[in-house]
Amino acid sequence: MENTVIDAHNISKTYHAEHIPVHAISNVHLHFARGEFAALVGPSGSGKTTLLNIIGGLDKPDEGSIIINGTETTALTSRQLVDFRLRNIGFVFQSFNLIPVLTAKENAEFILLLQKIPKNQREERIRNLFREVGLEGKENARPAELSGGQQQRVAVIRALASKPQFVLADEPTANLDSVAAFNLLDMMYKLNQDENMTFLFSSHDQRVIDRAKRIIKLVDGKIADDTSNLTLPS
Amino acid sequence: MVFKLAWRNIWRNRTRSLVIMLSVSVGLFSGIAVNALYKGMMDSRVRTVIQTETGHLQIHDPEFTEEKDPSAFILGKASLFEELNTMPAVAAFAERTVSAGMLTTATGSAGVIITGIMPGKEAAVSGLDKKIIAGVMSWPENKKGVLIGKKLAQKLKLKKGSKIVLTTVDTASSLIAGAFSIMGIFQSANAPLDEVTVYTNINDLRAMLGLSEEIHEVAILLKSDSALETTQNILASSNQHLAVEPWQSLSPETDLMAGTINTYSSIILVIIMIALSFGIMNTMMMSILERKHETGMMMALGMSKNILLQLILLETCLLALGGIPVAITVAWLAIAYYGKNGMDFSGMGQEMMQSFGFETAIYPSFPAAAIPGILLIVMATALVSSLLPIWKSLQMNPIDALQN
Repeated sequence: MENTVIDAHNISKTYHAEHIPVHAISNVHLHFARGEFAALVGPSGSGKTTLLNIIGGLDKPDEGSIIINGTETTALTSRQLVDFRLRNIGFVFQSFNLIPVLTAKENAEFILLLQKIPKNQREERIRNLFREVGLEGKENARPAELSGGQQQRVAVIRALASKPQFVLADEPTANLDSVAAFNLLDMMYKLNQDENMTFLFSSHDQRVIDRAKRIIKLVDGKIADDTSNLTLPS
Repeated sequence: MVFKLAWRNIWRNRTRSLVIMLSVSVGLFSGIAVNALYKGMMDSRVRTVIQTETGHLQIHDPEFTEEKDPSAFILGKASLFEELNTMPAVAAFAERTVSAGMLTTATGSAGVIITGIMPGKEAAVSGLDKKIIAGVMSWPENKKGVLIGKKLAQKLKLKKGSKIVLTTVDTASSLIAGAFSIMGIFQSANAPLDEVTVYTNINDLRAMLGLSEEIHEVAILLKSDSALETTQNILASSNQHLAVEPWQSLSPETDLMAGTINTYSSIILVIIMIALSFGIMNTMMMSILERKHETGMMMALGMSKNILLQLILLETCLLALGGIPVAITVAWLAIAYYGKNGMDFSGMGQEMMQSFGFETAIYPSFPAAAIPGILLIVMATALVSSLLPIWKSLQMNPIDALQN
């Protein structure tokens, strides 16, 4: 498909826990088009995070291939993968994962610094994103001085600042209260609508499931269901 | 960014980092202090050698230098003295007649070097007058007297006024002897030298050896150490028939000691730094394990192993280098104080110190020339200390680290 951002073909991954094989992912085929707002759902141990890690190039499948915007990431070396992740994928992790010794702004521009983006461009992008997510005035705060919701917003800014092909968010609302989770999802949904940014979540949080446009249900490492969310509010 | 991150990382655990920096400071201070003490001792020893033993330069007939041949006199001494008198770099010079011999008493004997001196000139070159602890340095011409060292006096149970016999060989290799009275006892900072040196009036020794105006040796004291090489070259060039030797050739053991003392200091500093490197390594390992999750996250975001390596190396260097300013400042202040007031080592035993040729008061000297080497050793320590943490970090898998 011309509009395909992620093409996961026949992905399998088996872990060995004390010599007992555990099939985390079995023969998964998935395609994601630009602008999708999709959620991988399922109970704990269903393989959501493993699949997300494989798509994000943090882990390698035992079988199958991942093609992102025409590049087969499963064929890249470790070094090439690091660079590919840096330039193409935005990550939002479960427990905020900000660097505590850097300010909110410094955390947000971390990837831009790794990409060696000139200072004036960095400043402009970060300033705009802070304004968009309602964090103006918090640029110089350290993570410890921000609430959980604010920290997760900074993490989203960090993921988006480099204008990646798509954003992978692993349980992004797991540590947030209802209001913070709602605001965060609202913000990401708005970015998805306005910027046509592709989001792929892994979550078993009903609040995420309710906002996803596409819901992929994983059970024991296999796709049990892949449907559009017909209950999505306008 | 790497520097900012490294700098802030080391202050995450302020106490731990300060303890490590303080350890580096103490270790480095100890290394510099030992170096300064050794340098002070060696400077003192070299000063003693120059000002009381050899002078800056000595001139002999080459045969005398090689074989101690009593008939190898300095030829052309008049023109030599004239030249020395006109050289602005020369502070003083003294001519000597030297002969190896035996000092005998009623109860014992000892091998000695009999040195015939002119008391006034000798005092100006070797400061012998300041070393007299009993008796006098000069005496009427009708008396045949000698000065002996305290160590020799103790060994042969001699005192001022004791009678001794000096036996030596003349230029015809005939055995000759003469009776002398001990007119004075001297004590220098070099006990072994005191044990074998006997001074007498140059005319008395000449008379004994059957000489008239001949001399074997001219000792020269310069106004400045820096003029040594130039003066030596000038004298060697204008007196090609003579051997012009600097103090380093006349007292090679002192020169060797001065040369090896820096090596000893460096070895001590390296040992201190090796011990410290384990502390630095431990701190870095703790720091890295504490940040394992965060490091995994940064790697997941796209931070290369090259940047991770730079980050850890920089953190280790900052920890190691952080202690340098304090160490150098405290060392400089302490050395400046003791360099002025001296450190009294008489408690360790004056005789023991003098048996090695050292004064009991040591004036440490700040080893400015050694500082670049010391900094290199600290940098090497930081580098070595960072190897294991770097290796551990590079082995890290982002997923495992994120699950930590």
